[in-house]
Amino acid sequence: MTTRRGLITDSFKVVKKARTAEKQEKTPSPPPSQNEDQTETIREEELQKLQQFDLDWRFGPCTGISRLERWERAKLHDLNPPEEIRELLQMCTDPEYSQSLWSEYPF
Amino acid sequence: MFSDLSAQKEGSSLLCRPASEDQGPAVFERTSLAYSPSSERYGVGERSFSRQYAHIYAARLMQMRPLLSERAKEKWGSDVLIRKLCDLETGEQCCIVGTLFKRMELQPSILKEITHKKMKLPHNLLPQPARAKYISETDELILEDELQRIKLEGKIDKNKCVTGSVIAIYGAERNDGKFTVEDFCTADLPLQTARPSLSSDRFVLLASGLGLGSSRADSMLGLQLLVDMVTGQLGDLGEQSGAATISRVLLAGNLLSQSTQDKDASTKAKYLTKKTQAGSVEAIRLLDELLLQLVASVPVDVMPGQYDPTNYTLPQQPLHRCMFPLSSVYPTLQLASNPYQADIDGVRFLGTSGQNVCDIQRYSSMDSHVEILEETLRLRHLAPTAPDTLGCYPFYLKDPFILEECPHVYFSGNAPAFESKHIKGPDGQEVLLVTVPEFSSTQTACLINLRTLHCEPVSFSAFSADEDEESEMNISH
Repeated sequence: MTTRRGLITDSFKVVKKARTAEKQEKTPSPPPSQNEDQTETIREEELQKLQQFDLDWRFGPCTGISRLERWERAKLHDLNPPEEIRELLQMCTDPEYSQSLWSEYPF
Repeated sequence: MFSDLSAQKEGSSLLCRPASEDQGPAVFERTSLAYSPSSERYGVGERSFSRQYAHIYAARLMQMRPLLSERAKEKWGSDVLIRKLCDLETGEQCCIVGTLFKRMELQPSILKEITHKKMKLPHNLLPQPARAKYISETDELILEDELQRIKLEGKIDKNKCVTGSVIAIYGAERNDGKFTVEDFCTADLPLQTARPSLSSDRFVLLASGLGLGSSRADSMLGLQLLVDMVTGQLGDLGEQSGAATISRVLLAGNLLSQSTQDKDASTKAKYLTKKTQAGSVEAIRLLDELLLQLVASVPVDVMPGQYDPTNYTLPQQPLHRCMFPLSSVYPTLQLASNPYQADIDGVRFLGTSGQNVCDIQRYSSMDSHVEILEETLRLRHLAPTAPDTLGCYPFYLKDPFILEECPHVYFSGNAPAFESKHIKGPDGQEVLLVTVPEFSSTQTACLINLRTLHCEPVSFSAFSADEDEESEMNISH
């Protein structure tokens, strides 16, 4: 928690809903080129895959550890986690990719 | 036996004339052993407590499930159905694998304490003081796997079971949703590498509960006798050559007494405690001086215990060498973690300072420490009650308390009395179980013979102040 005087949004991060609303507002403004559109959908798909990996009960709880750490644990115990998740996680260092679905919440 | 070794030498040389000039004093070389510590798995590097404990339970189940499926197939036939709880069908005979949870009415619960405080209930409803045992008739056993849990009834002794043990159960689900247990099995002992056969007798001395820094200094004489015996300054040539066969000393926890943990300093007013030091400072200085005498002559392994200045959660990290300025200069001082694992001359030692055993004793009907030791070995887990009632670090990758290799000697410290037992495993493993008694109350330590894997107690009794008749100072074996 920050000790300096500031906005309420310093202690309580903006909730995810507002963020996706911002995203949707951004895309229609200037007409987007074909490429940008495609990268957006690919990114959406990848994030979906990672979220499904988070919610898969076979690999144990997902809170409090990064996705890569969870993948490594699943590999160590011979649970056959899908390789493509590993590749996705290694390529991107974006915190939205590497941290779990619930990382915003203080569990 | 150790006592036979000392008695074999001819004649006592204590009351003889000094040896002639050219003969010189007899020097005994202490046997040195191959020692390799393997406690790295109990070292916790960077610590992050922002994780929940669900991970350690998940890792435990992930690791134990394949082992238990193997055991279940061996015990009930290779065609036994191993089901997940979500796939259970009523009336079908099958086997389920999961973690036990024992719901105990008397288990201290922080929620109950807070509720009582908030509702300002009268005194007789306040939570009870610490009890010796928290079991009662109304306890319930529940089995949990990755997704669901189910209540258990039947041929399983709920008083002997503790929360956190992973077992396989054979039976059927009844109409009312409970599972009837017909039989159950544990992971049993892991595989053991054969220990090499040794040519001569070598001994390892185990002691625990030295209890330094207490207001009663009764055990100091016994302690000094122990140190003198090990360093060969006691007895005549026979005893000295016997002491030369003691090649290692292992101190299994509670080197400091409980009274050094006095928390008065934090609750009293500052002006009363300004110039006073913590009780543990003086006690650690005493320990350092004691260790200095020992390490100059024999390798010593020091494990921390419940009352020692290290972290509370298991695995306890080794005591820091800055606390031992005199003795840490010697390479023979090994500061070890709790639990402790090492190979001494090919014989694998594994043990703890007793917190895991005491915790199981509180939450089950078992009283004998050696019986509890055997139970933890059969469950293949050092501390099943961690993290439920025993403090533990929130591991996420693996559960380091699961035994992966069977030890030859399995010990726990700070027991009320010395006990030892030999047990055999299903694949030919042989283990010596030893409960090391608390030195401050029993004045007893144990000697383990590495060649025969036999253990014997060594006790040091001294004059007691209130006895009128003459009592002899004896070192009995």
